[in-house]
Amino acid sequence: MNDILSEIWATARNNKLRTILTGFAVAWGIFMLITLLGAGNGLINGISQQTEGRFNNTMVVYGGTTSKPYNGLKEGRYIRLKNSDIDITSSEFDGIIDEVGAMLYTSTVTISNGQHYISTWIAGVGSNHNKINKVEILAGRFINNIDIAQQRKVLLISNKQAQELNPDGDYKSLLGKWVKVNAFAFRIVGIFKDDENGRADAFSSYSTIQTIFGRGDDAGRIEFTFHGLPDEESNEAFEDVYRARINANHQAAPDDRSSIWLWNRFTDNLQMQSGMDIIRTFLWIVGLFTLLSGIVGVGNIMLITVKERTREFGIRKAIGARPWSILKMIIIESVIITTFFGYIGMVLGVVATEVMDKQFGHSEYDMGWGSESIFVNPSVDIATCIEATIVLILAGTIAGLIPSIKAARIRPINALNG
Amino acid sequence: MIHLENINKTYYGAQPLHVLKGISLDINEGEFVSIMGASGSGKSTLLNILGILDNYDSGLYTLAGVPIKDLSESKAAVYRNKMIGFIFQSFNLIGFKTAVENVELPLYYQGVSKRKRHNLAMEYLDRLGLKDWWHHYPNELSGGQRQRVAIARALITQPQIILADEPTGALDSKTSVEVMQLLKSLNADEHITIVVVTHESGVANETNKIIHIKDGIIGNIEENLDHNSSPFGINGMMK
Repeated sequence: MNDILSEIWATARNNKLRTILTGFAVAWGIFMLITLLGAGNGLINGISQQTEGRFNNTMVVYGGTTSKPYNGLKEGRYIRLKNSDIDITSSEFDGIIDEVGAMLYTSTVTISNGQHYISTWIAGVGSNHNKINKVEILAGRFINNIDIAQQRKVLLISNKQAQELNPDGDYKSLLGKWVKVNAFAFRIVGIFKDDENGRADAFSSYSTIQTIFGRGDDAGRIEFTFHGLPDEESNEAFEDVYRARINANHQAAPDDRSSIWLWNRFTDNLQMQSGMDIIRTFLWIVGLFTLLSGIVGVGNIMLITVKERTREFGIRKAIGARPWSILKMIIIESVIITTFFGYIGMVLGVVATEVMDKQFGHSEYDMGWGSESIFVNPSVDIATCIEATIVLILAGTIAGLIPSIKAARIRPINALNG
Repeated sequence: MIHLENINKTYYGAQPLHVLKGISLDINEGEFVSIMGASGSGKSTLLNILGILDNYDSGLYTLAGVPIKDLSESKAAVYRNKMIGFIFQSFNLIGFKTAVENVELPLYYQGVSKRKRHNLAMEYLDRLGLKDWWHHYPNELSGGQRQRVAIARALITQPQIILADEPTGALDSKTSVEVMQLLKSLNADEHITIVVVTHESGVANETNKIIHIKDGIIGNIEENLDHNSSPFGINGMMK
């Protein structure tokens, strides 16, 4: 093996341009593939991070505006969800709908702790809100049934809000403290983790908010979890039935699609998944074609190499080289050169994704209601890198194998004369 | 040592070319023979067949008792490596290898360890007066030096037979004489069978037996022990 290595070193050193060209083709192929896949993964990670804070099997129902006249009423009526809608949702869809809750937002309020204050919205929610949405409690507790029943003035704020309200000390020390929400004193019962994405509001008891800030029968938005709707069609069918029922409660046309808005996170997610699949497939296709150009490069240079060295092979055969030893030499040489430069390309590609991560990975884009990173952790797992390198090595070798076999088989006299 | 019986060889090109038309020849162990003929006479083809570098169509060829016919390339390679040493007109050294590496190469294909083959190659270079040039590349050596490296490479496997194809073809007259003297002494002192192919009568005159070949047929075979068959070659004048 040592002999073979020194043979290869000698030929590589004596054919610098050829070696460098081969190496460049290989390194470039791998580099582009990794950079491309890394960038794609960054995009996909960015998208997935936005959906991380949600449970998939949930729907949110918002009031809308009717688009059709119905039952003697004109179109363009504003529909506001009522408490009876909550009752309908929780009682009439057994077997599909599980947890039902409602969210009622205040208008902007000021929460103040001594001289420190923040402006935010408070969402009045039921005790099951954290079963419909992911809320990570860092300290204290979530809204409970007693809060609802007794209309307690309780408040949950995010760790960021807590930090702003108590900038000098540990944010957890706010737990149990009373703060002012406009003119009312609320007690902080819990601190939850800001999810970094979208809006982070404060939470309070639904009944409390409805009583203090509510507008009569306004239920805000309804949210519920569901099960047994595995695909897009069944979801759509359910949505139609549900919409017709709620529309009936508001004297809107059963097929009026704008009277209420349904945000189905399950189908939303399905669509996002298929979108990401398309991105992923596209990236792989482009990547593989890049790799293919590397393979063609390697194969081409192998072809030239073999042609160029035919005479040398002839000499070697004349003094006793078996065809197999010639073939072995060419193959090992090609494998070592592609591996070496493939590794370089891989390292450069990883460096490039790291640079991308540093440059764009943490930049947040203001989306109006909050900030989002659309580019998160652009990286390719090491297995993919190694697989791509191996594919290139194998394909390059196979591409070079045909002329090599020919060269190894040629009668020495033809090689010497050639 | 070499036994040829009715060897025929045709090159099939656009025009089939019948190069060897029934060559029968015996060369005994320890002989120093030249095959002489004009270009196109088939002498090089004959040498290539002797060296198992090329195949023949019909006939019988045994080398040291081994029948040489339809060998696989691997087998031919082993026989070439063990039994035959080649000397070519254009030296056929590998350009990116030093003198000693070139000489080592046949042993590399025998699987001899690096140290052992290096020592042996140095020994042979020393014998050929190239000890100080061992680390030079072929393009840093003169023609005569290159041919001596090639001879060292041919000798290192201690072959039964040395085949030389126009060994002086690329050399000036002075080095030609040196090379022929070298082959002569190898034959005289070590009884190595040597077959030289040449078109120069002066070179042929240095050998002990001259086989004339013309149009693929062997003409007369001259015993030439007193080396006066050619006006050239007398007193070492060859060209």
